[in-house]
This record gives sequence, C-alpha cells and structure tokens, in this order.
Amino acid sequence: MRLYKKEGDVIQLICFPDELVEKGDYLIIEDQKAKKGLIVQVIDTQFANIPGILEDILRDVMTEESIHGEDYDPFHVSSQITVLKDTRLVVCKIRGAMNNGHICSSVSHLPSRISSKITRFPIETIVENCLKSRPIQLGTTKSHAELTVDAKILDGRLNIITGKKGTGKSHLSKLLVLGLIDNRAPCIVFDVNGEYVNLSKTKPNPSKLQRRVIVLTPGVNMKLTLSQVGLRTMLGVLLFALDLPGNSARVFSGIWRQLQERNELTLSSLGTAIQRWDCHESVRDAIISRYNTIAESGIFTDDQSEATDLERIAGELSQGGALIMNMKNQFSTIRRMTVEILLSKLTDLLMSWKLRAIFLFAEEAHLYLRETYWEDIITRMRHIGIFTTFITNQPDTIRDNIYRQADNIFLFNFANENDLETVSKVAKIDGESVKLIARDLPPHHCLIIGEAVKNFPIVVNVHPLNVETMGETRFFFKD
Amino acid sequence: MWIHSTEAILYEHSNISSLLLRGSGSEEALLPDFLMKLSHRSMRTIRGGRFKPREVSLFELSLEDETHQDLPLMLGEELLQCKPIRIEPAEGKAPVVAVDVSSMKIGDTDDGVLCALRAVIVWKINGAYMYLRCGPIMFHITDYGHEQMSKHLGFKESLPPSMFSSVTMRILGRLRNTLERWTQRLVCTSSKDTLILFDGSLTAGTPDNPVKYVDSILDSARENGNVVLAFSKATKLAIAGQRVTNLLDQMPAPCLLDIDHQIGAQFPPNPVKLLGRVYVAKLSFAGFAFRLDIDRQVPIDGAIDAVSKLSGCDLVEQGYPETLRLAHILSTFTANEVIGIQRFIARNHGLRITSQLSLRKSLFGPFGTGREST
Repeated sequence: MRLYKKEGDVIQLICFPDELVEKGDYLIIEDQKAKKGLIVQVIDTQFANIPGILEDILRDVMTEESIHGEDYDPFHVSSQITVLKDTRLVVCKIRGAMNNGHICSSVSHLPSRISSKITRFPIETIVENCLKSRPIQLGTTKSHAELTVDAKILDGRLNIITGKKGTGKSHLSKLLVLGLIDNRAPCIVFDVNGEYVNLSKTKPNPSKLQRRVIVLTPGVNMKLTLSQVGLRTMLGVLLFALDLPGNSARVFSGIWRQLQERNELTLSSLGTAIQRWDCHESVRDAIISRYNTIAESGIFTDDQSEATDLERIAGELSQGGALIMNMKNQFSTIRRMTVEILLSKLTDLLMSWKLRAIFLFAEEAHLYLRETYWEDIITRMRHIGIFTTFITNQPDTIRDNIYRQADNIFLFNFANENDLETVSKVAKIDGESVKLIARDLPPHHCLIIGEAVKNFPIVVNVHPLNVETMGETRFFFKD
Repeated sequence: MWIHSTEAILYEHSNISSLLLRGSGSEEALLPDFLMKLSHRSMRTIRGGRFKPREVSLFELSLEDETHQDLPLMLGEELLQCKPIRIEPAEGKAPVVAVDVSSMKIGDTDDGVLCALRAVIVWKINGAYMYLRCGPIMFHITDYGHEQMSKHLGFKESLPPSMFSSVTMRILGRLRNTLERWTQRLVCTSSKDTLILFDGSLTAGTPDNPVKYVDSILDSARENGNVVLAFSKATKLAIAGQRVTNLLDQMPAPCLLDIDHQIGAQFPPNPVKLLGRVYVAKLSFAGFAFRLDIDRQVPIDGAIDAVSKLSGCDLVEQGYPETLRLAHILSTFTANEVIGIQRFIARNHGLRITSQLSLRKSLFGPFGTGREST
C-alpha cells in the first residue's frame, strides 16, 4: 500500500489486489524517519482511477462477445496488467496518532509518501490494554482477534443497539445481559417479543442461570396488590398509561386515600368506592373506564399469596441476575402499565438504596415508554442508577438528544438511506464513516462506537450464543 | 525522407533485419527465438538504478508510437480521368486473417530506453472471430547500442538516447517491423486459400524492410493459395492537392481505383520495390477509402476477386475490414498496460521509479506548455 492523498481527516491509499483490506480495518501509516504514525480506519474501498482503464474495459467489453482467443505472454506481464485493473483506492479516516509508541490525539503530522510504511494495526490491543476484572467477550475483530470489554463500559452509561431486523441486535443484547449476570450485575429487560424468555437455558451453564434469570409475564405470574403498587405509582399508570385527565386523577386520589385510611384498599372495594363517590358524572365515568382496564389487565390482585414480591426479586437480582418482563402478545395499554409500574418501583427501590443500580435493556422502547420517560431515563434515572440500553430497528424512534448523550452505539447493518441518515447525524463519529461502514456490515457484525472501544470505532463479529432463540420470525413455509 | 535510406542499423553487433533471413531454428514459434534472445540480452543490461517511466495521462486513453513512413507523393492529374472498378461482394465463407503489431516506449533508464512490442493475429472462420496475441516482449535500447549504431550510420557524434531521437525510434521501428514480418510469415505459411490482411503497404527495399523477406512472405502466401491485401490507414499520396483516397468520395461502394501505374512511375527501380499493386479501395457506402496494396504476383482478376470475397465475407463497416480492426484494437497498448509493464520492469529488474524532471515545468511552471523534451 502507498499513501496517495490526504484531505482534511481523509487519507487515500493505493492498494494492490493481493493486499487484503476491508471496510472497518485499522491501518497504521508509520513515518519511519519521523517516528510518528497515523492510525486510520478504512471506510471505503474503490477502484483506482488508472489512466487508460476505461479503454481497457471498453476493449474487453467490445471483444468479449464477438471474439475469443488466447494470449501468449512469455514474460507473464499480463499478470501485472490485471493487477492494475483491480488496483484499489482505499479511503480512510484518521482516528488517532502514534508518537514514539504512544497513542495521542494530535494528528497534525503529515506522513511521508515516500518513506511511510503502511501496515495493519491491531486496534484491539489499544481497546483491551486496560485490566479487565469484569470481562465480557463481545466477539472477534476483523483481524480475528478476541474483543473483550470490561462490564464497566455499561456502568453508568447510556447505550443504543440499532440495526435493521435480522442483523443480530437482540443477540448482542443477550450477550451483554449474560455478561452482566456473570459479573453479578442486576438487569431488567423489557422484552416485547418474548425473545429473552429462554435466556436461562443458555449453554454451557443453564443450571447456574436458572436461578438468576426470572421471567415475569404481566397478568400471568406477575400480579401486584394495590398496596404494593401505592398511590404514586397508580397515579402514574392512570395519567400516563391510561391518559386519565388531571381533575379525575385528583378525585381518584381522594378515593384511594379514603380506602387506605379504612384499610380497605382492594381492587373490589376500589370499584365500589368509585361507583359511590360523590363527583361529577363525567369524572366518575372517566375513572370507571380506567378502573375497568386496570381490573381486566390481570396485573392486580387482592390475593396476597399470588402477589409478586418485587422487593424480594430485586434483592435476588442484586447478587447478579436478570428480570425478563415478557410483554409478548400483550396489549399496548398493558405494556405501558407494566413499564410504568416497574420503573416507578425501581425508582423507589433505588432511591431507598434497596438496589444499588440496575441495567435496563429496553427493546423497541417507543412501543411502551411514555414521552416524558425518555428524558427521565437519560437524565434523572441515570443518576439514581438506571443504566439503559435501547434496542431498536427504527432509529428514528429515538430522539436526537438521546443519541447525542449515548456513550456507546452498537450499530448493525442498515440498508435504508433514511435510517443511515438518522444514525449518522448523531453518532459520535463522522456521518460518512457511519454510512459507508454500516451499509456493508454482514449479519452479526456490528460497528461499536464510543467509550466501550475508547472512541476507536471497531467492527466486531458478535459471538454466537448457545441459546434457543425465541425472537425469530415465524414463517408459513417450512423449508 | 529516410524511407529511401539504405544504411544498416545495428543493434548490439547484430543486424536486426538480417535475423529474419537467417531463420531462428524454430520456424513454428509464435515469437521468434532471436527476438526473445535479443530481448533477454537487452533486458540483462539493466543494472538497477533509476527508471523514468513514460508519463501517461488520464486524458490520454490510448498510446501509439508508430511512425507512418509514406512519402508526400504527388500523383499525375491524369488519374482524375480513371474510372473505378465496381466490385460485387461475393457470397461465401472465405477465411480472413489479419496481422497487426504495436510498439511502445515504456520509459527511460540511466543507460537507455525501454520499449515493448506485441503482435496479434485475428482470423474469421465460419462467421466467428478468433485471436492470438503474442507479447508483450520488452527491449532495452542502450547507450552502448547507440554508439555502435551511430558509427554504422556514419554519425560523427554519439547520440543521446531519447524518445525523440530518430535513431531510437528507428531501432524501435525495426524491431517492430521484424516482429510484424515474422508474424506475417507465420500466417502466410500456416493458412490455405485465405485472404490475409496486413496493416500498412507492401513497399519494401529499405533496411527496415528488406525486399527479399517481404518477397518470401508473399511467395509463401501464394504457394498456399492465399492472397495478401495490405491496408494503409494513412497515406500521403496526393493528387491535385487532395489525398488520393478522396477520389472515391462520391463513388458507390464497393469499388477500387487502380493507381499502381501512377505510383510506380514515381519510384526509381531501386532500392525501393512496390511488391503490391496499389489501389484506392472503398469497401462500404459512406465509409472511408484506404490505400490497398495487393500482391503484385496475383493476377489482376485474382486481386479483384479477393476484394470481392473480402467485401462479402468480412464486415467492412466504415470501409475497414473488421478482422484488421480487431487486430489493431487488440495489439494497441493502453495507458493501463503501459503502467503494468512499467511495474513489471521495475519489479523484475530492480529499477527505482523516479519522477520525470520536466525542463519546461521547472523553468516556466504552469506556463510550461507544449511537448516535453527530455
């Protein structure tokens, strides 16, 4: 490879066909004399614009169908000519510099075209050069080296996993959840497609995970009494999940408090009290319609014995485990109610230090997260210990300000121009790199951008998981 | 006017032209042994060092170093009264074979000039075109060779090797001619009852183009029932201030205009020999007209019959036979190929590529226009 051109932070190299370079690879351009180097990442490969190539190709096209023949080339010169036809222009972005063996951010040095030596750069050595007491093996880099990160990279961070469907987003998310469990961290997963319900059956240690992965399905094995939920949480459900008007909410508060004082806070007594409460008919109707939804949701129970003890579960999780909220086949109202209750309870547990912190994995959050929670999650809840990872195949459902505050983005393949545009505008690296690399990522390969890789974007082939997947599309035809 | 010159051009003590007459010991070889040996020997004289590759530009799609040796020859105006011969395209499947050779300067070394040759044979049988391409073979024309040549050419001073040195170009031209004649001979001896198309004329009798060898090629062709037709893409034959090919502008095609008598009268009997009968040929309507030389030993009827077969058997779009057109296309060096050969030479002969020092650019900067001299 030879250095051809530098424009801004873009470096162009001339590369012969036998020099295998792909998008996402890291190279170092070492100026032997100056003992300085530039660390660059390949973002695109093109054919080099060689003089006469058009004529060559035209001649081939013109003659290939009308004429056949043989070449007698005693010196084997044609191999060199063929090589030239496939000579590539490798477009790279400067990601850092090397000065006397040390990485530095100053990239003011312009390497020599003549004396520079261009070789592959094992970027994983830089990303991995810190001690990993809490390792999570993500996968292999393009140079087939293991990429292991410290679980700390998710601690206190906001992460986004995005890519088109079928590229392996949930797969990576499961890998992170299992990595966190291994490192005794508590996780909660909002699972809209029932993809995580078999997580405990992951080989090679299903028995170990059996105790650590708890799957709750709202209305089935997740039921709560009204007193467990509390007025504040219930008001949140009514206002944000069920859109109860403010006036009606105030009346509901009165009813709740009266029942609480009388120690009669049950679902059935709540229904009776609403019917008898002295208020405007329209307010009563509004509250009754919400009450009916709550009662029919199956989430609430008056039977203490079937009530789910969220505090106990939180205690178990604090030693390392995952709570999977299986919201598959649930109505959107039930989903929103479930998330409202859980986030509210989590906030309580974290505020009271019954739980130190929790890693939240939110699949397709736009389906159940209310508008105001987005801001909450990345600002307030982050400070009390909820560290979120959003997983979505619709990047435009996540607001720009959330992308901007994201510490790590795990970007899978996107073919859609709009999706690429959305991500490229807000990712931590230049849009051109995102577009050019993400467009050609094969399945199960992701571009990791951010703190997790010390801001050196790396393409990783995510490790396979030995778990029965549940999130696959159901097909009609069997073969 | 060096088409008439008879000086011998020597290359490394060897007379290139005579090599053909001596034979190579492997008559059936696609590339003659002596040229291969000459190539090897000359390339061995490269002793590392610097290599200034020929500059190729993005805008210069194809490259050609061929020289056209036709004289600006004025023909008598009585030719204007001559009537062209109408040709009826003959239906049939007569085989057609064409030969073309290209030469190219590749770059300069500390000691001399590097060049490359390539020969192509294209044939049409049963409606299908086939080709055989031989080369490229490379030569290193050195100072040493120049000194030897200068002496033999009678120059008092040694000439520096340069692309624009006429001596270098003549050596390159002679090497090219040698390969072309070899390939033509190969085709003429191996084909039967075939129309054989050459690029250029059948004029011989210069050191570059000995009569004896061209004669023997034509003899071989006739022995095998072949007819040789040589097309010149460019001619300087003129009449009344116009190119002779313009005479057929308004004529229906295909047709021939016999100008042999008028041309013959212009040449002394020695040393130059017109081994072909010279015509102006227009083979397609709205196509170009070309100078066409047909083997003089073939009777006139046979010659006209050959053109008639060619018109019927080969595509003649724009007046030029498709077989010969393909031979030209396939032999021509493209800029990409020149770079490929430069890379091959640099890699295999330990040459260090250096940028071309431009006198004009150094002196005049962006105002240094015009052709670069080295």
